[in-house]
Order: sequence, then structure tokens, then C-alpha cells
Amino acid sequence: MESSINRGSFRATVEAEHRDGYCENCEAALEKEFYMDGERKRVRMICPKCGGQGRLIAKSVSIQAPSPPQCVRIKCLVRFASAIAFCGLLTIYHRKRFTYAERNRHKKIPQKYRTGENSPTNIRQAIFAIIKLTIIGGTRQWHKLKLSQTPG
Amino acid sequence: MAQTQTVTDTGIAELILLWREESATGMESIVALEMATPCTAAVGSTFADPADTAIHHTDSGLELAAIDTVGGDTTNTAGDTITFDHIFTATATKNVAGIHACNNDDDVAFVECCFNAVIAMEDTDTLTIDGEVVVDQA
Repeated sequence: MESSINRGSFRATVEAEHRDGYCENCEAALEKEFYMDGERKRVRMICPKCGGQGRLIAKSVSIQAPSPPQCVRIKCLVRFASAIAFCGLLTIYHRKRFTYAERNRHKKIPQKYRTGENSPTNIRQAIFAIIKLTIIGGTRQWHKLKLSQTPG
Repeated sequence: MAQTQTVTDTGIAELILLWREESATGMESIVALEMATPCTAAVGSTFADPADTAIHHTDSGLELAAIDTVGGDTTNTAGDTITFDHIFTATATKNVAGIHACNNDDDVAFVECCFNAVIAMEDTDTLTIDGEVVVDQA
């Protein structure tokens, strides 16, 4: 009997962290440092005086699509559809969060929008978070527009 | 647009060259992609023709450079993962839409990544890239 074992596909994951070049504690210029993280050799920008890092502006997050359903029962398909919907909403949330953090790099905004941590864990939370980001992002833009239109 | 990242067709072709004991190259370089709006990573992208209308940065600390660290790791089965870390330090105000991880001949893009949104880099800003590719996704 002929048989073959199928393996999964290649999966790439990339995270990008955008920081400014000065220490968040003492404003000193940062230097590149290589270090060991377990057996993995890594690199980071670090303050030579206090060991601090640059101010975080925004961090991207890599979202992987959910695995396909392993059965054809209604329950499995509904669960898969739900996972797809959540993945889509989470993607929208991170896009809005990242854009908001980049646009407000010099302003004080909640740190969760810069780090991407404490992101929504279910569909309901994701919808509320997206609406909130749309409102605060839109409010700032509307405020800017109003100021730019003010004569004198 | 969501962040998208993929191993390119040319990257897989390069791996197959290695299995065939033909002349193949390893991951060694990285370059930032320049585009005013977010791009979408595609398997068909090549070193010479990145995603959408993106082009390679050619200066300002975002140009083609040797990757700071490349290593191996384990995700599902022993040695199934390649990891790479790099820090770009901008020397001018530039937009970064994504990255290409390339080979040592600088003619094959193994991995293409387009970020969630365009990153507005200013002078002295740093962009730390933490990437991995899992080949065995059992």
C-alpha cells in the first residue's frame, strides 16, 4: 500500500520594534550589544550608562491564521468560522493600534497601544477595542482639522 | 492591512538547490522596504521585484546589510527553525513598509515581511527585527 505523510507548510514570523535612539532613563545615545538568550545569540540597543532602552514607539505583531478544521461536523465548522472572524478582527485591531502609536510617537498614549500586549482575547473585546481606537484616533484627527481651520 | 510575512518561492527554490547538492546560498543579508503605504507580502516576490510597488532602501541605515545574528532553533522537531535578529538605525527620516531577508549573493529574497502599517523612521530611530522561519510545522 502506498502512503505518504504530509508535512505542514513553511511558517514565517517577524516582529518589529520601533524605538527612538536615546535612553528612556538618562537620554544617552544607545549602543548595539550582542547577548545570549539561552542558546540563541541576539542583539539589542542598550544604554551604556544605565542599561536602559530607547523609548518604544510601536511594536508590530505577527498574527497567524487559524488551523483548518480537522472534522466536518457543524460544531467544528462553527468553531473554525469563529476563529477566522476573531483573527480578522484582531488583525484590524493591531493595524489601528500600530498606526495610532506611530502617529502619536511624541504624545503620551496608553502603553498597550505601543506594545500590543493585553490585546483582545475574544470577538466581543476585539469589536469594542476597534471602536474605541476608531473614536480616539478619529477624535484626534478631527481636533487637528478643527485647529488647522481656525483663522488667525 | 494586516502584517503579512511569507517565505518566497525563490527562497524555497534555493533550499531545493541545497537538497540537490547544487550551488546554494544561505541567509545572510537584510534590507528594509520603502513604500508610502503598507504593502502585502507575496510568495511570488523576488529580490529584484518586492511586494506591490515597494523598493529596497539604498541609504540612511536601512540599506542592504549583513544580518546581525542568524541561528537555529527548535519549534516542533529538533532543528526545524531558523532565527534572525537585526537592528536598523536610521540616519534620516524615512518610511519603512517591510523587510527582505536575503542570501549572501544578494540576489534571492528568502523571507518577505510587510508591517501592519508604514513605520515613520526619524534620524537615530532604531528598528529591531526578530524573525523566524519554522520549516517543520507538524
